[in-house]
Amino acid sequence: MKGKTKKTLLLTTMVLPGAIWFFLLRYIPMAGMILAFKDYKVYTKAPSFWNNMANSEWVGFRNFRFLFSSTDTGKIIRNTIGYNVLWIILGLVLSVGLAIMLNEITRKKVAKTYQTLMFFPYFLSWVVASYFVLAFLDPTRGLITSWQMNNGMDVINWYHEPKYWPVILTICNVWKNTGYSSILYLAAITGIDGTQYEAAAIDGASKWQQIKNITLPNLRPMICILLIMNVGKIFNADFGLFYSVPMNSGSLFATTQVIDTFVYRTMTATSNIGMSTAAGMMQQLVGFVCIMVANKVVSRIDADSSLF
Amino acid sequence: MKKRLIASLLAASMLFGLAACGNTPANSSGSGSQSSQSTAGGNDEKPAGDGDVTPASDLDPVTLKMWLCGNNVSDDSKVLEELNKILQEKINVTLEPIWDTWGFGDNVVLSLQGGEDIDIYFTCSWTANEYNKFARDGYYVRLDDPNNNLIEKYASDLWSMLPELLTTTGACVNGKDGYGVYAVPGYKDIATQNCWDVNVPLLEKYGYTLDDIRNTDYFGFGEILQTVKDGEGKDFYPLLIEAAVLERMATNSIIVTGDSGTGNFMSYYLDPTDVSKETSYGIQLLNKYATEEFAKYAEKTREYYLKGFIDPAMSNADQANEVRTAVQNSGEYLIGTQSYSMGFELTATRDRGFEVAMVPCTDPYIDTTSAQGAMMAISTASKNPERAMMFLNLLNTDPEIMTLMCYGVEGVHYNKTDDGCVEFTDESANFKPWVNGVGNVTILPPTVEQGAGFYDRFKAYYDTAKDIPILGFSYDGSGVDAEMSAVANVVAEYLMPLCSGAVDPAQKLPEFLKKLEENGINTVLDDANAQLKSFMETRGN
Amino acid sequence: MQKISKRVRPVNSVSKPVELLFHIILIFFCLCCVVPFVFVIIISFTSKQSIAEIGYSFVPKEWSLEAYKFAFEMGEQLWRSYFNSFFITIVGTVCTLVVTIMYSYALFRKDFKFRTFFTFFCFFTMIFGGGLAPTYVVCKTVLGLSNSYAAVIIPMLLNPFNLIVMRTFFQSSVPMELIDAAAIDGSGEYSTLFRIVVPISKPGIATVGLLTALAYWNEWFIPQLYVMGDAKHMPLQYLLMEMQKKVDFLVKNSSMIGADAASIVKTMPQNSLRMALVVMIVIPIAFAYPFFQRYIIAGLTIGSVKG
Repeated sequence: MKGKTKKTLLLTTMVLPGAIWFFLLRYIPMAGMILAFKDYKVYTKAPSFWNNMANSEWVGFRNFRFLFSSTDTGKIIRNTIGYNVLWIILGLVLSVGLAIMLNEITRKKVAKTYQTLMFFPYFLSWVVASYFVLAFLDPTRGLITSWQMNNGMDVINWYHEPKYWPVILTICNVWKNTGYSSILYLAAITGIDGTQYEAAAIDGASKWQQIKNITLPNLRPMICILLIMNVGKIFNADFGLFYSVPMNSGSLFATTQVIDTFVYRTMTATSNIGMSTAAGMMQQLVGFVCIMVANKVVSRIDADSSLF
Repeated sequence: MKKRLIASLLAASMLFGLAACGNTPANSSGSGSQSSQSTAGGNDEKPAGDGDVTPASDLDPVTLKMWLCGNNVSDDSKVLEELNKILQEKINVTLEPIWDTWGFGDNVVLSLQGGEDIDIYFTCSWTANEYNKFARDGYYVRLDDPNNNLIEKYASDLWSMLPELLTTTGACVNGKDGYGVYAVPGYKDIATQNCWDVNVPLLEKYGYTLDDIRNTDYFGFGEILQTVKDGEGKDFYPLLIEAAVLERMATNSIIVTGDSGTGNFMSYYLDPTDVSKETSYGIQLLNKYATEEFAKYAEKTREYYLKGFIDPAMSNADQANEVRTAVQNSGEYLIGTQSYSMGFELTATRDRGFEVAMVPCTDPYIDTTSAQGAMMAISTASKNPERAMMFLNLLNTDPEIMTLMCYGVEGVHYNKTDDGCVEFTDESANFKPWVNGVGNVTILPPTVEQGAGFYDRFKAYYDTAKDIPILGFSYDGSGVDAEMSAVANVVAEYLMPLCSGAVDPAQKLPEFLKKLEENGINTVLDDANAQLKSFMETRGN
Repeated sequence: MQKISKRVRPVNSVSKPVELLFHIILIFFCLCCVVPFVFVIIISFTSKQSIAEIGYSFVPKEWSLEAYKFAFEMGEQLWRSYFNSFFITIVGTVCTLVVTIMYSYALFRKDFKFRTFFTFFCFFTMIFGGGLAPTYVVCKTVLGLSNSYAAVIIPMLLNPFNLIVMRTFFQSSVPMELIDAAAIDGSGEYSTLFRIVVPISKPGIATVGLLTALAYWNEWFIPQLYVMGDAKHMPLQYLLMEMQKKVDFLVKNSSMIGADAASIVKTMPQNSLRMALVVMIVIPIAFAYPFFQRYIIAGLTIGSVKG
């Protein structure tokens, strides 16, 4: 009995530094969420953030209004969720696939080289990437444009044709994130106990059977956790990708306007801390609901792989 | 002791006779003479707090933190040493400047929202801590508060030196404590004048002169552009535009302060023959895209675009900015758009290496945006607003202090030439504040490039600037923020392509107008016009 | 070629044609990843005139060092910032790893009484946050984080995502029996963690360490908030980002700022500078990459070659 208490105590001390950090830097600032329901003004008698917040007027759900008042709201939500669902699935298949391929390369030096190179896009910001895309799509001097001109084809004005952008954005997203997420899977594969494969090989299992029966089941916790966490961001979008890569071109809004860009553009028009907090809260709530549902589903199938 | 100071300052201010906002007409005649006084005055005026007013030793020592914008300062130790010696002697203040760079934005807003202990902030009509909004939300101290008029008490010298248009209308806003002044306006290039930026050698190569451009307008450029395009070849785009500026130049509209930052959708038209007169629309804000002027503009621009006068790259915001700077410098354009400030053609000619001329669309005019182009506000979180006001007064009236803050220490950062101009040394690379953002530039000695007598020419030019009928108005869209948001996003979608001619207005403009209405532009405009009406009444026109 | 054919292929591996196919796919993907970077390097050496005339191109009309010259004009500050970046990255990564490992290890222990509570305590912050302003106020005024190395490291010390990933690594690579056995042998909780669990979890720790190090290295926003204008503690990424933002801001607001803006912009090689800054940031961290990778792929070799 005494041993058990001691164990709990020791494990709690391990959690403590992190828990204090979470409390100070994450939980205390959460008080700021009430700004979503306030009209933030300075309390001139004693201006400090907390005083201002406490003395600002309550405005109910007024700060949320802008999220639903645009005639484009439906389109914006469709874009945000659509891209996210597509990319979660695509990202999962591609990065697990790449990780397995890398794992099967027999020459480890080559595999290391591949893996290093695959990580490069992670270093390039979206702004920089947007110039690379521009080098191809520039309306007068781009590589594709010149090629079209030289072959007497109709020149496509890429930055004014929304229909091409779901494909372009998808390519960009895969390019940037696949290498990064495959490293997580690769490390998980590496952590698998090698004796499992040895035993399987002795039993005459082919490599394909080993992947199916050993690698994938061992990857399951990682796949599930990453899936759950990605589902939690279903209402958020990668701002740089949707803003910088299309060069902030208005004509493309039909397929490039997402919640984050909409909120950003709103804030440049009427900078209001209450409204941005409200938008954030909306995204968080949707994310929270999605994550809880996803976690429930996963824990039904495999309790060990769920988040909690 | 404090009482004595206040009393003596009060007496001093009464002698000067102040003209602040909302004052009775009796005072405004007085301020007329002050503005002429300020033109002549300047360098030889005795700064306030100089010994005879109050000995600095009667004041408690305080440290003031001042947040500036647009600087390139890596070493201010020598400057501060000199500066604080003078400041301590005069007003017992130690200054701690925060030399923010052009990245100005996030930090300043957070600092204000967080109520940080900073006394003075740079503010204006175009940065993230926008003057009107932040004054409304209570971040800045009202300087001419009837109960505690800091200007009367501590800054009468300064107030009498500034042009009347700035002090009586330009800087006055509807802030948290009523209609008044919430920041000290900087005396810099306070007027707006949009000009055609002309590549003179190229123009002359095709046998035209500047008069050919002066005598026509945007709608008559077609022939000249065509000739040059034919001569220079397929990849040459003679018309170099900044889409939103071009629209204002062609239709003579202005930026309405408080309009959406993402893309303007309100128009107020000027009479190009006399900017101070009302047009047939009267005092009214219009839906920019629903007017005849805009339709005509969009059609013409589309025509120019299809003829190959405009680079297609100009139609998406991010790319346009970069390409434009590059092309300006390489000289591969004939006519460009430029928001002018005095002496621009000289700098441009020197920087670009060919003769650049500026052909104005209208006379220079002062609108709210330009009047509020650079200001210094005292934070409501400041513990020493009185001392901050005293400091700002000194900074803007004492040439020695202003020169130290802007150009550094004589003999270290610069040397004086025989005719009193400033010649920078290599050391000045470590200390390059943005002069216009510091304060009253007219009390500075001119630089060698500007040449002796620069500030006389400067004042002469800006004195000719007329105020437009709605000077001082700024729109507060917070009552209809949801509609503002929706409309701003619609505008962001259509503005650039339409204003640069990349899409067909016959097809897109009706679609755009319909969407604007569905998203509530009329609600916003009704609100704005109601505010404008009550503003004009308050201002007493 | 001779050498390759002589090499003994591990027994338990995919067939040769399949591996060839894998190589083709991976090479294609790697090319997609590397070509943009080569492009960035080329642009960084391209002259302003060339960009103005023919745009962004793989074959510039004229080469130039002006962007690098411009960047190196910062002189001492640049090296100081390089040092700061290394310091912050190394110290920060070590601190993060220690705190993360301890926290996630406790979460991994199914027999930990408060496991669910602390998992939720961490998870909740992944979804909900108070936003920028309240966090800034807490860090700056409540905790007094300003103008020090700690002011850059502490705000980004923990990342719930990495914490949960780390827990998952423990789950998939550390058998519970091992911990029970250690407990029976009388090993304390801390010594079990650092002597037994950590050594066998190297791939996971290296991965999280890599992600953390990259995050510290790439971060410019937090330094902007907490060490603004403090040349002594300014990391590289912030220094360079500020340079970039300066140019962007001037170009965007040139009509408000007036003649000054045009003159300043004129002296800056904006486009090539942007790319040169990327090169200057990426090169050092790219060299650090193999250090982490050794643990990620070294494990691989043991796992599959043995069979």
